[in-house]
Amino acid sequence: MSCKWRGGRLALVAVVGAAWTVGTGCRETEPERSENPTDTMFADFAERLDAYTTLRERLTDSIGDLDPTKSQEEIAARAVALGNAIIASRPDAKQGDIFSPEVAAFLATLIRQEYSRRSEPVLETRQDQQDELPDFEPRVNQIYPTTYPLATFPPALLPVLPPLPEVIEYRIVRDYLILRDVEANVILDFIPRAVPSGG
Amino acid sequence: MKRQFAMIVGALVAWAPVAAKAQEMRLPVMPNSVRFLVLGDAGTGERQQYEVAAQIVRYYAEFPFTFAILLGDNIYGKERPQDFAQKFERPYKALLDAGVKFHAALGNHDDPNQRYYKPFNLDGKRYRTFKEGNVRFFILDSNYLDPEQVKWLEKELEASDSEWKIAYFHHPLYTTARRGPEVELRAILEPIFVKHGVDVVFAGHEHVYERFKPQRGIHHFLAGGAAKLRKGDTRRGPLTAAAFDRDRSFMLVEIIDDKMFFQAISRTGVVIDEGIIPSRETAEATRASVLPLVRSP
Repeated sequence: MSCKWRGGRLALVAVVGAAWTVGTGCRETEPERSENPTDTMFADFAERLDAYTTLRERLTDSIGDLDPTKSQEEIAARAVALGNAIIASRPDAKQGDIFSPEVAAFLATLIRQEYSRRSEPVLETRQDQQDELPDFEPRVNQIYPTTYPLATFPPALLPVLPPLPEVIEYRIVRDYLILRDVEANVILDFIPRAVPSGG
Repeated sequence: MKRQFAMIVGALVAWAPVAAKAQEMRLPVMPNSVRFLVLGDAGTGERQQYEVAAQIVRYYAEFPFTFAILLGDNIYGKERPQDFAQKFERPYKALLDAGVKFHAALGNHDDPNQRYYKPFNLDGKRYRTFKEGNVRFFILDSNYLDPEQVKWLEKELEASDSEWKIAYFHHPLYTTARRGPEVELRAILEPIFVKHGVDVVFAGHEHVYERFKPQRGIHHFLAGGAAKLRKGDTRRGPLTAAAFDRDRSFMLVEIIDDKMFFQAISRTGVVIDEGIIPSRETAEATRASVLPLVRSP
C-alpha cells in the first residue's frame, strides 16, 4: 500500500460525515476504530479499497511499472495487460463490491447535498459539462470505452467525496458515479442515480 | 541539423495548401530570452492541424522557440500508436527534429496515460511544474482537480521565487464561447493565483482565440484553436480584450526580463493579436496592463 494512499486511508477511516481531509503524512499507526456507524461504514469502504490495491500491486509486480517512454506501443500494451489481468483476477466482481449499499446511499446523499448548495452559474457549468458526459451503461469490469472522453469531474464535488488511492478515480457517466482504475482504464464499481440529472 | 531542418521546412511549406502571406514577425527574438509556442486542442490529425503546423514551422525559421506548451486535447479519439504518429509526431516532426520540447497539459479528450508518453514531458504525472529562465510554469490537470492537486499547487507557488509565474491547463476560467467559463474551477484556482502572484494563464477547450482584460491582475489567454474551430463562437463582452474565431490559430511568446511579448497568429499566417504584458510586479508599479508591440524591448 503506497504511503500516499495510507495517508488518505487514515483520513477516510478517521473522518465522520462530509468533512473529508486527505492525510499528508505517512503515519504508521491507525486511529482506533470508533463505534460510530458512519466510521464503521467508511472503515469498511477503506478495507475494500485496500483489498483492490493489494490485488493490483500483486498484478503490477508481475507486469511491471511503467516509466515514461517514447513508445506509445509500450504504454498501450501495458494498459491492456494490466486491464486484462485485473478483469481476469476479479471474474465475479459485481456492482456493490467496493461501494457497499450503505456507502452508495451515503455518497449519493452527499452528492445531492453538494449540488443543492451550488449557485446557478456553477449548476449551469455542470449542465454544460453534462452535455459532454459519456452516454453508455457502465458495467463492472468493463474497459471504459475509449470512444468517449473522460468527462471533467466537478472540482468542488471532489473534496466532498472520500479520498481514493492514486490509482483509482471517480468519474461520472450519465447519472452514475463510477470508480475507474486510472492506468488500466477498467470500471471497478459504480453507483447508479448518484448524480442529479439536469445538472 | 540546420540544413536538415531547412529541407523539412521547405518540404512542408511546399506541401501546405495555405496561401503564403507575408509574415509579420514583430517579436524581439533576443538572445537568452524565453521563447515558446502555445498550442491548444491540436490533436485531430486532420488537414487543418497540418496546415497550422506548417505555418508554425514558417514562423519558427524567424522565431526559433525552444519549447512548446500544449493546452490539452493533445490526441483526439483513439490513442493507438498510429494515432500518436498522425496527430502529434508527424505534424510537428520538423519541430521535434529541431529539438523543440513539448510540455503537455491533459484535456478531457486525453487518456491520463499520456503522462507516460515521453515527448509530452509530463514525467509520469498529471500535473507538474518546470522552469525556463525567469519563468516558472505550472501545468494543471483541470479534468480532475482533486484536493491533493490543489494542495500541491499552493505549495509549489509558495516555493517559487521566479519573476514570472505562468499557469496552464485545459479548461478556461474566462471565455465568451458557447460552453462558457469554468466558474467552479475559477472559484478554486483564482484566489490561489491571486494570492501567489500568477501573471498569466493559458487555457484551451474552446476552439477559438480569446484574450481578456486582466482579471484580478491576471492575464487570461484562450488558445484552443490549433486544429478544431468553432466559427463565430466568441461574443465580445466587457471583459474581452481580443478575440478571433474565423480560423485556426496559435501563439508565439517571448519573455525578456519583466516583459512578455506575444503574437497570436492564424492558420494563414495573419497576426490576429499582439502586445506586451508587463510582469505583475511591474504592472502594479506602473499601472500598465497591455502595451502595443514594438520591435525591440
